[in-house]
Amino acid sequence: MRALSAFMTGVTRMNKLIGKWVSYLIFAMFVFLLMEVGFRYLFNSPTVWTNELTQMLFGVYAVMSGGYIMAHRGHVNVDLVYSHMTPRGQAVTDIITSTVFFAFTLALLYFGVDIARESIASLETSYSAWNPPIWPVKLAIPVGTGLLVLQGLVKLLEDIAIAFNLSYYQPESTDAGDTL
Amino acid sequence: MSIEALTLLFFGALLFFLMLGLPLAFVLGGVSVVFLYFTWGFDSFFMVASQIWGTMGSFTLVAIPLFVFMAMVLERTGVARDLYRMMHLWWGGVRGGLAIGTLLICAVFAAMVGISGAAVVAMGTIALPSMLDRGYDKNMALGVINTGGGWGILIPPSILMILYALITGVSVGKMFAAGILPGIMLMILTALYIVIRCYFQPHLAPALPPEERASWPEKFRALRAVLLPILIVFMVLGSIIGGITTPTEAAAVGVLGALISAATYGKLTWPMLQEASIRTFKLTGMIMWILFAAHAFSAAYQSMGAQDLIEGLMAMVPGGPWGVVISMMLITFLLAMVLDPVGIMMITLPVFIPIIEALGFDPIWFGILFVINMEIGYMTPPFGFNLFYLKGIVPPSITMNDIYRSIVPFVLVEILGIALIMVFPEIATYLPNLFFKGG
Repeated sequence: MRALSAFMTGVTRMNKLIGKWVSYLIFAMFVFLLMEVGFRYLFNSPTVWTNELTQMLFGVYAVMSGGYIMAHRGHVNVDLVYSHMTPRGQAVTDIITSTVFFAFTLALLYFGVDIARESIASLETSYSAWNPPIWPVKLAIPVGTGLLVLQGLVKLLEDIAIAFNLSYYQPESTDAGDTL
Repeated sequence: MSIEALTLLFFGALLFFLMLGLPLAFVLGGVSVVFLYFTWGFDSFFMVASQIWGTMGSFTLVAIPLFVFMAMVLERTGVARDLYRMMHLWWGGVRGGLAIGTLLICAVFAAMVGISGAAVVAMGTIALPSMLDRGYDKNMALGVINTGGGWGILIPPSILMILYALITGVSVGKMFAAGILPGIMLMILTALYIVIRCYFQPHLAPALPPEERASWPEKFRALRAVLLPILIVFMVLGSIIGGITTPTEAAAVGVLGALISAATYGKLTWPMLQEASIRTFKLTGMIMWILFAAHAFSAAYQSMGAQDLIEGLMAMVPGGPWGVVISMMLITFLLAMVLDPVGIMMITLPVFIPIIEALGFDPIWFGILFVINMEIGYMTPPFGFNLFYLKGIVPPSITMNDIYRSIVPFVLVEILGIALIMVFPEIATYLPNLFFKGG
């Protein structure tokens, strides 16, 4: 049981740490885009690499967010019925609906690994004017999905603990995120 | 199984798992995977995974985190406070003046940022207490903030419009241009409603007593407050409409503007930036995972051949093409009660847009109607983001019921706006045709 709680805390901590660092990519995207506008209009010399690099950073940024948001309960849901359930009722419901969660994320993980493996095998590049290697970005698909799956597993373990009154997990409060 | 039964089962399963509280992204993705498995087999999911790769490489989408970040920074600066002070000085002497001033600030905010939350939070903390102190009716004060906050997604820039453009293939610049006049029209309509209502019922929004009104020099000094926001609006919208930058680059320029105004107000600190970047990450990631899952949804939807079925159903709607458009509006309105806007777009647009185009309507015009509908969704219970934002910041004496009641007249004004744009499509299509000739 000790190992189980350690696994759960470890995964959550890892996701939060990774999320914190990945979130800073916004500054890089901002700077590169601004540089491009500057190069184009002030020095009249557009670059070939800024927009493509920004796009690659964004791809990583987007796909790596899943686990972090899951750790913060930030994926938007409909709580019309859900919010009226007891904590235990919610846990049981979550255990049932986790099948749908895993159907999606595991399928994505399976083919994400496929995509990344092919790309790494050929050390794939983008074939643009700049032609950077893109396999690291493709690798982010299975990695990001994997982090999400792990966090989903932690969530499932938490729900099982709440539903069956097991001692390896003590619920704590969570913070809400923003919406559009 | 027949297509009818399969489609019904599919949408039924989506609704069922949504109601059980599973996050939208996983409902869309998971239910679709299961249906895909039974229609096209397991390997069809490779296609979905590779479409996710396509989404990650969409340059237009990069604008989303930047616009969100910009809003998060602007929300923390003193821009809103200064703007409100200015409106107070200029409009305080008029019946309903503070309410009209609040509407104007919301419109200015909407022209700077692409989401609705920023204006609601900023005005809810600044304008609401001020209006209540001066004897404004709480329904009037709440309703104004609620409706004005929603314009964030209609008046460009707008994240919903970026997503709409991505799904339907229209140009982001055209969508942005199309939102300008309807936004101004809604602002005028709402202000007119306030003026007329306060003319007959002055107690709802009393004018400030003469001794509290400002002198002309004071008024002009306060005008400085609009300089920065106007600069930002010109930097962002000007560079898109002027063809100087792509919407994505314009968003970066907007972030620069937001950072400059934060610095001007002495609010440019590392903790503020850090908080803004984390909030941006969460919100952007949430949208992106819904988008990823939506690829599975559209694949499943196509694999079942449900498109023909829905088109057939739509052909049976009475009232011809207009009946179809109105029923689509009704469907989105109903969905907006339970689903968030990104989800609604992902589910309905792949179904609606081919029909809209087949009927000969302009997808840009339809997009504007759609966005206003989403905006109404933001302000109507039970699933209205603005309502929750507002509840989070109002004094405890204001209940959720007060907030619900306050929106009714303002929703009616918005519906009037939709009707006007349906009757006079030029309100939406004039500017895009003017700015982007032949493209």
